Amino acid sequence: MKKWFSITLGIVTATGGFLDAGTIATAGESGAKFGLGLIWAVVLATIEIILLVEMVGRFTAVSKKTYADAIREDFGFKFYLFPLLSEIIAESLLLAAELGGIAIALSLFTGISWHIWFPVAALLVLVMSWRAPFDWIENGPALFGLLTLSFVIAVVALGGPSHDTLVTLWNPDVKQGDLADYLYLVAATLGATISPYLLYFYSSGAREEGWSGSSLVLNRVTAFLGMGFGSVGSMALIVLGAIVLRPLNMNANTLGEIGLAMAKPFGIIGSLLFASVLFVTCLGAALEVVLAVSYNIAQGFGWEWGENKQPVKAARFNLTIIIFLLVAVVIRLIGLDPLHLALLASTVIALFLPISLFPFLVLMNDPQYLGNKVNGRLSNLAVILILLIAFVVALVSLPLEVLTGGG
Amino acid sequence: MSIVRGDQIFSIRDIIDSQLETRDKIEIGRVADIEVELHADGTLALTDLVTGPQALAGRVAGPLRVLFQRLLHDRFERRIPLSEVEEFGPTLRLRGTAEEYSVGQSERWIAHYILRWVPGSGHK
Repeated sequence: MKKWFSITLGIVTATGGFLDAGTIATAGESGAKFGLGLIWAVVLATIEIILLVEMVGRFTAVSKKTYADAIREDFGFKFYLFPLLSEIIAESLLLAAELGGIAIALSLFTGISWHIWFPVAALLVLVMSWRAPFDWIENGPALFGLLTLSFVIAVVALGGPSHDTLVTLWNPDVKQGDLADYLYLVAATLGATISPYLLYFYSSGAREEGWSGSSLVLNRVTAFLGMGFGSVGSMALIVLGAIVLRPLNMNANTLGEIGLAMAKPFGIIGSLLFASVLFVTCLGAALEVVLAVSYNIAQGFGWEWGENKQPVKAARFNLTIIIFLLVAVVIRLIGLDPLHLALLASTVIALFLPISLFPFLVLMNDPQYLGNKVNGRLSNLAVILILLIAFVVALVSLPLEVLTGGG
Repeated sequence: MSIVRGDQIFSIRDIIDSQLETRDKIEIGRVADIEVELHADGTLALTDLVTGPQALAGRVAGPLRVLFQRLLHDRFERRIPLSEVEEFGPTLRLRGTAEEYSVGQSERWIAHYILRWVPGSGHK
């Protein structure tokens, strides 16, 4: 029975990995600007991430190898550098965005500027990743992640979307000049959800918990429930944006503005709930991102790693965590705003998806690792198709967005 | 290139990039390169496993190895004689404990000189 508690691994991976600064930013902005016109992108991204998370769990449970181990061993050092570098670039931006999300949540609670809370957020993440054993990191955010359900309750309390809003579901209201913005949000939505760091985090987590071949059913349930849970929260936020922010012609240009969507149905309690969800999901995501990159580097170079060891027993791994957090603080000092960072990071991730996921698909079809548990043809095809859509949209929209200077 | 050991045949890919794990189950690094000896009878013999930034840079592009060699003067390059390997596979198990190898010394250096100043690091 105990192994079923591992389901929390999925739910935390979802709260942090699915819902985070990137998703909240893209979902709020999508709803405010295009109504329900981006729900399809969330659905597509959800299918992709459920497939990928199930795959990486299966890979690690059967082969007892993490994803990073396998890339280095199977593809060699030279190839390993590509996913490694793309991860470091994209996830540094994302980590800065998540820390910004934590800081903004704290400023919504206290009224004190988020600029002051930013270093506090970095310190909080450092302390947690420094000493908390793996199951704390897992269970804490999972428990509070349930707060995300308040988005769904808010949609119900507001009486659901009107007929005019519902129409945007299949007929997005994209005006001539808004196409670049729309595509940029599609790319960001896909990139914010299909985050490769999830694969590194999830496969390392499965090792930390000692998953084996008997964990496969559990793995499938976890992937589906966990990611499904995150997806519902994300869609509810889009609907909220569409119901509350769009009629007011708000662009949802800051995370605070997106929070207004929760103030409409529930007043001050709604604002506090939004701040809590922002805090918990960004904290979970920041931990996952910083650990995922450190896991990736430590495993790729063959160092000791693990959250259940004292820091001195995995010194290089823990030093990487510290350095990576410092990098995120420096990125913040350059002066980028967290919401724009989150959107930018998500689009950059979408652009890098083929690099980060191509080796993964090859490994998932290698019987040396998986025996008879290799991927079926249908799931291969689905993963590749969605991957290509994300890549093409990112490729088209990123230069457009830079040229038009929007966001 | 294949390596024959008893009745097992290894490809060079089974050695390079493999995880190095010591007797006390410590992961000290990965194989970056190998060294071979050409014998008078025309056979090549694998003698050492090599780790270090120069060897890794050389894996990316040959000239980078020279560049890194000029910068680092072999300071971080380490060798492990092949005879130290007890078991082959994706993980190469070594006969000695982590203390006995110069590979992975940076782990102890970082623990001793940097992490000890951070509270809760477990440094004694």
